[in-house]
Amino acid sequence: MTPAFEIKDIHKRFGALEVLKGISLAGAEGDVISIIGASGSGKSTLLRCINMLETPDQGEIRVGSEHIVLGPGRNGRAAAPDRRQVDRMRTHLGMVFQSFNLWTHMTVLENVIEAPVHVQKRPRAECVEEAMALLDKVGIADKRDHYPVHLSGGQQQRAAIARALAMRPQLLLFDEPTSALDPELVGEVLRVIRQLALEGRTMLIVTHELRFAREVSTRTIFLHEGRIEEEGPPGEVLVAPRSERCGQFIASHY
Amino acid sequence: MIQLLGWGDQGWGDELVRAAGMTLAVALCAFLLGLVVGSGGAAAKLSRFRALQAAADAYTTVLRGIPELLVIYLLFFGGSGALMYVARIFGHTGYIEINAFATGAVAIGIVNGAYSTEVIRGAVLAVHPGQIEAAKAYGMSRSVMFRRIVAPQVLRYALPSLGNVWQLALKETALISVTGLVEIMRQATVGAGSTKQPFTFYAAACVLYLILTTVSGLGFARAERWAARGVRRA
Repeated sequence: MTPAFEIKDIHKRFGALEVLKGISLAGAEGDVISIIGASGSGKSTLLRCINMLETPDQGEIRVGSEHIVLGPGRNGRAAAPDRRQVDRMRTHLGMVFQSFNLWTHMTVLENVIEAPVHVQKRPRAECVEEAMALLDKVGIADKRDHYPVHLSGGQQQRAAIARALAMRPQLLLFDEPTSALDPELVGEVLRVIRQLALEGRTMLIVTHELRFAREVSTRTIFLHEGRIEEEGPPGEVLVAPRSERCGQFIASHY
Repeated sequence: MIQLLGWGDQGWGDELVRAAGMTLAVALCAFLLGLVVGSGGAAAKLSRFRALQAAADAYTTVLRGIPELLVIYLLFFGGSGALMYVARIFGHTGYIEINAFATGAVAIGIVNGAYSTEVIRGAVLAVHPGQIEAAKAYGMSRSVMFRRIVAPQVLRYALPSLGNVWQLALKETALISVTGLVEIMRQATVGAGSTKQPFTFYAAACVLYLILTTVSGLGFARAERWAARGVRRA
C-alpha cells in the first residue's frame, strides 16, 4: 500500500543551528500521528517543512501524487523548488495554525470558500454548500457571516479547521492547535479534531496535550534536538517510553 | 456681492465654479499619479535590492524636504528650458511653453507620491505575517495572494492616511496658480484684482476649497468604514 504521505531525510538549518537533522516519516491513509517534544525540538519546523512554509535544506516530500526533492544546489545552498509544484502540493494539505490566521477582512464563510474558489477553481455554489456543511460540523454555522474578530478563540480555530477541510486535503497538519486558547476553550477544539480522527482523516498533530495525543493518535513521535528520539503506538511512547529523555518529558507534562 | 458672485456676464460665479472644477481635476490627476508612484516607491523600499531601496529613499527624502513651489518652478520653467534646448538641437528656435495643467499635475503628483510611498510602505508592513502564511499554506500563487489577501488589507491600513495625502494634493494645487493655470486661487486673484474686492473673492475661494475638502473627506470616511470591515473598533 502506498503511503498517504512520506518525508525522507529532512534537514533544516537556521544559520549555524541545525533544527532538523534528518527526519523520515510516512503515514498511511487514516493515520493520526502526534508529534511531541520540548520547545525547540523542531516539531513546528517539521510541520512547516512539510508544507514548505520553511524550505528544507535537504530531503524529500511526497504527498499524494506530488513529489518534491530538495538537495544542495550547485552553490551548496538548497536549490529553489518549483513554485508551482509547491503551490500544487499545498492544495493537498490543510494547515491549522496555532494562532488561527483566519483572513481578517473576510467573514467566516468567505474564509472557508476562499481557497476552494480562488485556488482550486471549483464552482462557487458548490463550495458554499460544502462550506455550510463543514461549518455545521464544527458547530459554528450560525457564525458564517461574522468576521473573525468577533469570534472567540475556540470558534476561530474551529472556523480555521473548516477552512482546512474545505480544501478536501489528503493530509491535515495541526500546529499546536490549542496552545493559543484559553483553557476553557481547548475542549471544543479537541472535540472537533477527535471527530476527524474517528472519520479516518490522515493527520499530523503537533501538540502539548499528551492526554489528547494518547487518545486520538495511532502513532506518537517524540522529537528531541531535531531527531526522532522515540516512535511507536501512543500507549507505549506516552506511557512506558524506552528513552530516558522521553520519559522525563512526559513526567514533566502530566 | 450677490451680483459679483452671480452667474453670467456681470458675475464671477460661473468662472469660480469652473476654476473649482480645474482644481479638482489637477488634484485628482496628481493624487492618482502619486498613488502609482507611491506604490512603486513602497515596492522599491520593501524590495531586497539595495539600489532600489536607496533610490526610493533618495526620492522621498528630497521631495519631502523641498518646498512644493520649488518643484513647480523647476518643472515649469526648467522643463520648458530643457525642451527648448532639445528643440534647438533639431533646429527649432523660439519659446516653448509647456502645458500648465500637466506640469501642475506632475509636480504635485511626484511630491504626493513621496508621501504615498511612506503611507503604503507602512500599510504593507502592518499586514500580519500570519495572514500571508495562511495564504501560502493554502496554495495561493503570488498574484492571487496579492489580489485576494494583501491588497485589501493594505488598503484598509492605508486609507486613513491616504485621505490626508489627498487633502494635501487638493490644497497644494493653489501653488500652481503661479504658472497661470486658472484654478480657484488664480481665478480669485484675478477677480480680486479687477473688482478691487479682494475679501469677497478670497472668502469665496475659501468656501470652494472647504466644499471640496469636506465632501471628499466624507467620501474617504465611507471608504474607510468599508475597508475596515472585520476590524474591532477601539
